[in-house]
Amino acid sequence: MKATPVEQINTVAKRLVGRRDRVIGRKSIRESLVSVAGLIGRPVRDPEGREIGRLVDIVVRHGEETYPPVSGLIVKVANRKSFINGARIGKLTPNEIVLSSTKINLESFQRREGESLLDADVLDHQIVDVDGLRVVRTSDLYLAPFDKEIRVIGVDISFMSFLRRLFPGSLARRPTPEHIIDWAAVASLTDANGVVRTASTRSALSQLRPADLADLIEDLAGREQGALIEMLDPDLAADALEEMEDDELEGLLRGLSSERAAELISRMEPDEAAEVLRDLTDEHRESILSAMQTTVAKPLRQLISFDEELAGGIMTSHLLVVKESDTVETAITLLVDNRERDSSDGVVVVDSRGKLLDHIQTVELLAANPQDPLELLIKAPFPTAVAADTPIDTVVEEFQNNRGSSIIVVDEKQKPIGRILADDLVDALSNKSSHIFSQGGGTRA
Amino acid sequence: MNVATDRKIRLAAFLAVMGPGVIAGLSDDDPAGITTYSQLGAQFGYRLLWTLVVSTIALIIFQDLGARIGVVTRQGLIGLVRQKYGARAGSFSAVALILANVGTMTAEFAGVAAAGQLFGISRYITVPLTAVFISVLVLRGTFKKAERIFFLLSAVFISYVIAGFMSHPHWGAAFKGMATPSMPFNSSAINIATATLGTTLAPWGLAFIQSYAVDKRLTRADLKLLRADVWVGSLLTGIIGFFVIVTCAATLHSEHITSITDASQAANALKPLAGTLAKDIFAIGIIGAALLAASILPLSTAYSVSDLTGSPAALDDKFNEAPLFYITFASITVVAGALIMIPGVSLIWILISSQVLNAILLLPLLAYMYGIARDKKLMGEFVAQRGSRILYGSIIALVAICVLAQFWFMFNL
Repeated sequence: MKATPVEQINTVAKRLVGRRDRVIGRKSIRESLVSVAGLIGRPVRDPEGREIGRLVDIVVRHGEETYPPVSGLIVKVANRKSFINGARIGKLTPNEIVLSSTKINLESFQRREGESLLDADVLDHQIVDVDGLRVVRTSDLYLAPFDKEIRVIGVDISFMSFLRRLFPGSLARRPTPEHIIDWAAVASLTDANGVVRTASTRSALSQLRPADLADLIEDLAGREQGALIEMLDPDLAADALEEMEDDELEGLLRGLSSERAAELISRMEPDEAAEVLRDLTDEHRESILSAMQTTVAKPLRQLISFDEELAGGIMTSHLLVVKESDTVETAITLLVDNRERDSSDGVVVVDSRGKLLDHIQTVELLAANPQDPLELLIKAPFPTAVAADTPIDTVVEEFQNNRGSSIIVVDEKQKPIGRILADDLVDALSNKSSHIFSQGGGTRA
Repeated sequence: MNVATDRKIRLAAFLAVMGPGVIAGLSDDDPAGITTYSQLGAQFGYRLLWTLVVSTIALIIFQDLGARIGVVTRQGLIGLVRQKYGARAGSFSAVALILANVGTMTAEFAGVAAAGQLFGISRYITVPLTAVFISVLVLRGTFKKAERIFFLLSAVFISYVIAGFMSHPHWGAAFKGMATPSMPFNSSAINIATATLGTTLAPWGLAFIQSYAVDKRLTRADLKLLRADVWVGSLLTGIIGFFVIVTCAATLHSEHITSITDASQAANALKPLAGTLAKDIFAIGIIGAALLAASILPLSTAYSVSDLTGSPAALDDKFNEAPLFYITFASITVVAGALIMIPGVSLIWILISSQVLNAILLLPLLAYMYGIARDKKLMGEFVAQRGSRILYGSIIALVAICVLAQFWFMFNL
C-alpha cells in the first residue's frame, strides 16, 4: 500500500467512525470484559454451583445492532454438544458461566440465519480492521453486559494477546483491554453463509474510497472476500472492482455466483466491463452474460467481440443518442437522467435513419431555446468519427489532429455505436506499455 | 494481443524455466540433499534407491497439495492452521517450521563451509561472509538477479547425470534397488532413509509453494500451470538425486568408501567425469545451491511466521510495519550461522542430521495439511476425495514409521 494516501484516508476514516458512540471507552464496560478465548473450555454451572458441562462455543446474532448479542451457548454435556438459550445466562465471569435456573432445556444446536459461532467462525479468522484499513486475524473477542444483553463489545487483534492464549491456566483468561478495538470498527465476515450483515460495519465500509476497498478485497481470502463483496452496496462494489488488478478480479468473479457477478459487472462502465469479461474463459463469460438483462448484455457482447487494439475494443458503448427532430429540452432531460455516468458532456444527434450528424455540447444546449428542435444547433465543427476496426494508433492521431475530448465510433452504416474518451485512450495506451515495462511481482518469498 | 493471454504466456514461460516448483525442487538438491544422497549411495550402493523413489512421489503429492491449498484458500499454511486448529496449534506448527528451517539453514551454511574447506578457507571466514552477503542481497532487493545466478550455479549438479553414465554403473542393480524395497534394520540405514525423506520432502518447500501461490495471487486459472511446474520441479529433484546416488554407488561404494566424512570424499564421485576438476565442480554446485536455498529459506520462514498474525508480510513492508518478519529473518540467519561456528562441529553430521530433523518435524505439518485438504469449508470443490485421502494418509504413515524407527534406535541402542 502507498503510505501517504492511506494515512490520509486513515485519519479521515478514524474521524468518521470516531464520531459514532463507542462503548469500549466506558469504565463500567471495561471493568466487566470477559475474554472469549479464555472462556472456551470453562465450566458452565447451575445456580447451585454444580457443573453442567464445559463451554464449547458461543452463538451470537447479527442484526441491525452494533454490538451483537449472545443468543446461546454450545455446551458439552456428557460428551454431547447441546445448545442452551442465551436468556438462561445468570452470571458471566472470566472463569465460568452460571445459569439463572436449574431447569434448562438441552437442545441440539441448529444454526439460524444471521448467527455465527465466536470460536468456530470468528476467533483466529481474518477480519477487516476498518480504522487501520487492513486485514488481520482475531486474537481474542470480548463480551460484556450492555443494553440489557450480553454482547460482543470488542475485538483484540494484537500479537501479544495471541501469545497470551498459549499460556496455561488463568493467565490465558486475563483480559488485556489495552489492545482492544471496538467491535464497531471491524468488519467480521463469516457466518454460515459467509456473510455478517452488521449495519455499522457496512456504513463504515461505505466511507472508504473504491481504491482502498479494492486493496482490502485483494488482501482477503476466498470466503471472506466473497463475504465482503456481498456486504457492500452494489454500486460501491462495482467501483471497487474497477480498481482491482485484472487477474485478481478474474479470481474473485470465479468465487461469486453468476447472478451476483452479472449484477456487479452491469454496474461497471461498459468499456471496463467488457475488458473484464474479455479476459474470462468462454464458459465463465457466457454464464455471467446470460445472467444479465438482455439490454445490458447485448451491447457488452458487441464490445467484447472487438479487438482490444482497435477502436471498438476501447470505446464505451454508453452513448446519449437523440434524433435531430427532438427538442433541446428532451436532450437536457436525458443528460440530467444520466448525470452519474461519465458521458454527460453532451448528446449525439442522429438523423431519422440513425446516421451520425453531430455531437452537441451541454453548454450549447443550455444556451439554446428549450423548445427548438436540435437540427437548428447542428453546425461545424463536426465530431470526428472512426470505424470500429480502426487501430489505436490511428485513433491517437485523430485525437491529436482534432484536439477534441472524444471521438465517436460508427458502424458501416454510419450509425454511432460508441465513444472513445481521452481517458479510455490513456487506459489503452498504459495497458499496452505496461506489458512491455512491467515484469510483474516484487521480490516476495 | 490480449493482456490476460499475454500474462498467461509470460507466466507459463517463467514457471517452465524457473517457477516456484522448480526452485523448491532444485533447492532440495542443496548441500544437505547432495550429501544425504551421496551418503546413501556410498553406504548402501543401489539397495536403498527405492527410498528416493518413495520420497519423490511423496514430494510430488504434497507439493501439489500445497499449491492447491494456497490457490484455493488464499492463505498461507501457518495462518490456516491457526484458523482451523486454534492458537496453540498455529504456534506449534510455526515452531516446527522454524526449527526445521533453522536446521536446513544451518546445513546450507555447512555446505558453504565444506566447499570453502576444499580450497583451504576456514569456515570462520566463509560462514559470516555468506550470512552478510545473503542478507544484504535480499534486503536490498537485488535478490531477483542474484537468484538467477545461484540457480545457474546450482544447475552444475546436472553434471551428476553425465557423471552417472560415465561411471559405468550396474544398471540392473540400480533398477532392482529402485523397484524392490528392502532395508537392513539397523541404525545407519534407518538414519539415512529418514534423512532422504526429510531432505526430499522438506517442510520449508511445502510452506514456500503455498505462500508463493498466495503472495503472487495465483488464481484457479493458473493452477494448471503451477501444478505442471511443481511436477517438473519435483521430478527434477528425483532425477538428480537418482544420479547422485548411482554415481556414488558406482564410484565410492564399489571402492569400499562406505562412509563419507568430509566433502572431498563426496567430490571424488565426480572424478570419472571431471578428473582433477571434480573438486571445483562440486564446490561450485554446492555454493550455488547453498546460496539459492539460503536466500529463500529465511524469507519463506519470515513470511510464514508473520502469516501467524493474519497479515503476512514481505520485503516491501518496512521494519515498523512488519517487525516480526524482519526479526524472524535475522534470527534464522544468525542462529544458523552461529551453530556452524561452534568449534569441532562435524559438517557432514550437521548436513545429514538436519534432514533427519526435517523428517521428524514434517509429521505435524503433513497432518495439518491433510486436515485442511479434507475440510470442505476451506477447500470447496477442491476438497480431497477418498482416493487422495488414502494417498496422503499412507505417506504420513510412512513418515511416521521412519521417525518411530529413528527414535527407537536413538533411545534404545
